Amino acid sequence: MQEKTEKVFVRNILGEYVSELGKEFDKLVVVNADLMGTSRNKSFAEKFSQRSFNVGIAEQNLVSFSAGLAYEGFIPLAFSMAPFLTMRACEQVRTDIAYNNANVKLIASYSGVSGGISGATHWAIEDCAIMTSMPGMTVIEPSDATQAKILLKQAVQKVGPVYFRTSVEAQQDIYGEKDAFEIGKAAIPIKGGDGAYICSGVTVQFAIEAALQIRREFNKKIRVVDMHTIKPIDRQAIIDAAKTGRIIVAQDHNIIGGLGFMVASILAEEKLAVNFKILGITDKFVPMAHAPYLYHQFGYDADGLKNSMIEFFKSNI
Amino acid sequence: MLKKIYELEKAALNIRLQLLKLCTMQTIHIGGDLSIADVMTALWQYQMKYDKDNPKSENRDRFVLSKGHASAVTSLNQAAIGCFEVDDVFKEYAADGGRFSMHSCNLVNPYVEVSTGSLGHGMPVACGIAAALKLKKNTINRVYTVMGDGEQEEGSVWEAAMNSVKYQLGNLVAIVDCNGFQADGAVSEISGIGNLAEKYQVFGWNVIEFDGNDMSKIKENFDNLPKADSDKPTVLICKTVKGKGVPFMENQAKWHAGKINEEQYLQSVKILEDNFYLKWGKNARED
Repeated sequence: MQEKTEKVFVRNILGEYVSELGKEFDKLVVVNADLMGTSRNKSFAEKFSQRSFNVGIAEQNLVSFSAGLAYEGFIPLAFSMAPFLTMRACEQVRTDIAYNNANVKLIASYSGVSGGISGATHWAIEDCAIMTSMPGMTVIEPSDATQAKILLKQAVQKVGPVYFRTSVEAQQDIYGEKDAFEIGKAAIPIKGGDGAYICSGVTVQFAIEAALQIRREFNKKIRVVDMHTIKPIDRQAIIDAAKTGRIIVAQDHNIIGGLGFMVASILAEEKLAVNFKILGITDKFVPMAHAPYLYHQFGYDADGLKNSMIEFFKSNI
Repeated sequence: MLKKIYELEKAALNIRLQLLKLCTMQTIHIGGDLSIADVMTALWQYQMKYDKDNPKSENRDRFVLSKGHASAVTSLNQAAIGCFEVDDVFKEYAADGGRFSMHSCNLVNPYVEVSTGSLGHGMPVACGIAAALKLKKNTINRVYTVMGDGEQEEGSVWEAAMNSVKYQLGNLVAIVDCNGFQADGAVSEISGIGNLAEKYQVFGWNVIEFDGNDMSKIKENFDNLPKADSDKPTVLICKTVKGKGVPFMENQAKWHAGKINEEQYLQSVKILEDNFYLKWGKNARED
């Protein structure tokens, strides 16, 4: 794990990195729908003008056009904000990409409530539920820039549709260049046997903060499981986490249909009884506000994660 | 490869007879199958560069059935060029485990380029394929997509219409089967689609409008398509009759989809054959 540093914007890092990938993979093309600047793809477009497309404000076309490119052997990275990519163009993703098994990588920013003061139109609190239910779709939610780069490269190398869910909020660096990740295998940035946080995306940094505080203040060791691949999910990591007796799942997403529901279904299937809580958006729309405020209100920032775990200890369970 | 008008019309007659036979066995989208039968016959049995023994060949013309419900007329044309037996279509259409059904599906049928069914998808997808061919420097092959006129109500069609002009996709040929009807009735009553040719024109397309049930016109327009490496997409606005060739089905919205009985079948076959031989004579073999 990295020392605490300044927060970085994952999209800035990914935007530059896509240019590097463009050199390595000659079939890689980038498709935008008038959010080339927002998606930080201008550098790719300058370097590879023939392989960069901008279809205008037309997300249905963004997705179907990308599917067409994929049928012909290209590897399109289709960029947009998560709500538009997964909901405006939902049926195109289902039919032209999932049903037709197109090798398209959907790269979404603005997931969860990270769009903050842009409001609910620019949030995606349903995208994980929607995309995990699409047959054959791999769903990835990286927790920091380093991990995002490594997993994006693996996503490009993997044949088949991928939904890559990122936040537009600045994120803490968690990992160093030496850390290795693999799609489908959870990372454990903090070990521990007194309880476990299972998180993805922005909530991983909050879980780390909470775990460190609990260790200092209560001398309890809480494991942090970074479930960067939501689908296919790492079943064994959940079974192992259950041995701690306490699991809190947090994701910047509606509680319904998110990571928590997936973890819960596995615990039930495996007949594992644990103290269990899901943190996330409590199935409602709220007025626009800055993301950290919203994370706090919904109780899945570091304070919220910490307090929920302490509740388990207080009630002696 | 069929070249003469007579041969193409004979082939189209066979397709219609097969459609009607299938229609005695299963509910099919018979109205829209019949309206586009002439164009589809010319496309599959004359126009497209397509090798049934190598359906993934890089040098094939691509076909995207945007009006996915015209799956029967597509499968029967593919049978006509030897992709499978006509009897396979009769046996397996809408049969559990079969290769053919109400919409085309490439999970079971390798001759289906893109699985379709939901309207407004084919054109944007075809647009992506056409851009990919250009990127691969394929200057020979075209991408054909067949849409309905009711389908033009889908906004995604126009997103792709703009995009194809921007990327100068001269290798893209959109075909609109203007049979005037959609599920709930006449297109003119249900939508504000208006003059389609003018619309595509102002979007910057090369627009050709003709009678889509007239084989000589169809062949002529296919023969005169701009080259695949030209820089403007082409739309063929085909004026057709829904249920074409079968009087009780013609221009009847209710025959969007349906099934016929033996008596209706025999009556329809007789009319189709009589009309064909009336035009060509029993022994006609020349243009």
